[in-house]
Amino acid sequence: MKEVIVHPKRCVGCMQCMPACATAHSRTRHLVSAVLETPQPKPRVHVGAGRFNEGFPNRCRHCDPAPCQLTCLTGAIYRHAGTQTVMIDPDRCINCASCAMACPYGVIRFHEDPLGPPGRAVAVKCDNCVARVAEGQIPACVEACKVGALTYEERDTAMKRQTLAVARSMSSGAGEPVLPPGVGLLRTMKESQVQLLKG
Amino acid sequence: MKYVILGNGIAGVCAAEAIRTLDLEGEIVMVGDETFLPYSRPMISYVLDGSEPHDKLPIRPADFYESMKIKPVLGQRAVSLDVENRRVQLADSTCIDYDRLLIATGADPRPLRAAHMDLGGIFYLRTESHVRQQVAALSTARRALVLGGGLVGLKAAYALLKRGLEVTLLITSGYPLSLQVDEIAGKMVLDELLRRGLKVLVGRSVRAFEGNGVVRAAVTDTGSRLPCDMVIIAKGVLPSRDFIPRQHIHVDLGVVVDDHLQTSAAGIHAAGDVAESVDISRGCRWVNALWPEAAVQGRIAGLNMAGRPVVYPGSMSRNVLRVYDLDVLTLGHANPGPEEGCRIVWSGGPGKGRYRSLVLKDDILVGAVLVNQVEQGGVLCALMENRVPLRLSTSRLMAPDFNFACLLP
Repeated sequence: MKEVIVHPKRCVGCMQCMPACATAHSRTRHLVSAVLETPQPKPRVHVGAGRFNEGFPNRCRHCDPAPCQLTCLTGAIYRHAGTQTVMIDPDRCINCASCAMACPYGVIRFHEDPLGPPGRAVAVKCDNCVARVAEGQIPACVEACKVGALTYEERDTAMKRQTLAVARSMSSGAGEPVLPPGVGLLRTMKESQVQLLKG
Repeated sequence: MKYVILGNGIAGVCAAEAIRTLDLEGEIVMVGDETFLPYSRPMISYVLDGSEPHDKLPIRPADFYESMKIKPVLGQRAVSLDVENRRVQLADSTCIDYDRLLIATGADPRPLRAAHMDLGGIFYLRTESHVRQQVAALSTARRALVLGGGLVGLKAAYALLKRGLEVTLLITSGYPLSLQVDEIAGKMVLDELLRRGLKVLVGRSVRAFEGNGVVRAAVTDTGSRLPCDMVIIAKGVLPSRDFIPRQHIHVDLGVVVDDHLQTSAAGIHAAGDVAESVDISRGCRWVNALWPEAAVQGRIAGLNMAGRPVVYPGSMSRNVLRVYDLDVLTLGHANPGPEEGCRIVWSGGPGKGRYRSLVLKDDILVGAVLVNQVEQGGVLCALMENRVPLRLSTSRLMAPDFNFACLLP
């Protein structure tokens, strides 16, 4: 089964996944019309800045067992049987924020959502784009990512590729480095900048 | 194998479900005081404030007992436990034998000792039946009195204010939520409620009630008379463990459990509000009577009972409260005494719209209070539960842009 895989070291912090995600979870599902919607659709992937201002696309890991599901007071959080996606039923959610204290990644937000009940804030998080996937598309954040920080593939395939890349980069006369040179350079620059400011 | 589960709250329900993941054939008997379907106890305050209907309380389907092949014995409490003969006696004198027993009897409201407690309009806030009666009483109520400034008291006061009643809150300590949060956060909550019309009396308790059939006034220990037609008592809860023979099972405030949630008697486990486990942030035994803990403990106890040894890492206090425009999240040992050698750092406060307080013991986070912007609370909670030595400065942990990425190498 394909899933969204995050390659944190590749993220350049461009945040393009965020509007793509918001658009995918809007009523009209087009960027231009989505920004005019009320309530405004909001992203469910959150690019945060790390210690060296490097980007990191933070999204729901769909944990098993899921702490948010165990702590949910109303049973609004459940696991989608087919895709193993952890979902929130907005009509059962009472916006109590119990899941906020359970999620070890801090990926749940609370606001009125275009796809939820009108006029009421609810807990909102990544749903693995189940609606898009059902239509044969890939998740919006992956489609928007230009640097390969988000991919949609079998977990085993991604693991094998990464293992091979690491092995090659360690061998003499190595081929491709694990990180593309441009991405590596950007990260080095960001780290030095933060070190300089500190010093 | 015959499993007997005492209690049909969330701990008992999660235990039964966990047993069924490993043992499809074993007999499960569930004894419950409440006859209602398994429901969300923390949600009753949402029913009281009118934001959710009563019929949304159940959290399991109507055929829960049948589909899980559980024999429910409802409307009954255990009155005695014979450890040697592995037998539980119920209030109606029937006896149930067991091979594995789970004590998940929960807790009952701490009773108030005052004269004329039998008057109508005086309630506890603990069960769906309590809230059903309270909602029915709302139509004739105008002036409410809430006793207790803890979480339940505050939620009750907030709910009744939202329902348009005139509400007076009586608290014995100097500020509300003194067990959960520090003084600054407590005052922020209080200010918000005062701004919305709540009346608060500090340092007073009720000695007696007056009325003719229904309550009309409360008399305080200072002798003053507070007119009211509805009273909600919220003075905390006490573990329901009177039936447990102390010569066989170690009972402190709650039933003491080990790291597999087994009591001091073999084959008997305990979970939920009745269990006393090791508190991760305090480093000592503690009864953390909380819904999320009860759910996790029930699940782990069930797995252990069905024969799969699973370690329970310990409990931790945690709460989240939303009153009007204020979100309050508290984790762990959030309000330690000065003698405990903790370092407390804080930022923000009243008027700033945001408050953060972190409690550290050496370089381990043991407590936190967040007022507003609580989304990253779970990240802090995970740091506390796993006792991760902090590498990040406390100012970064408290900054508005703190997020999971800050913890990456």
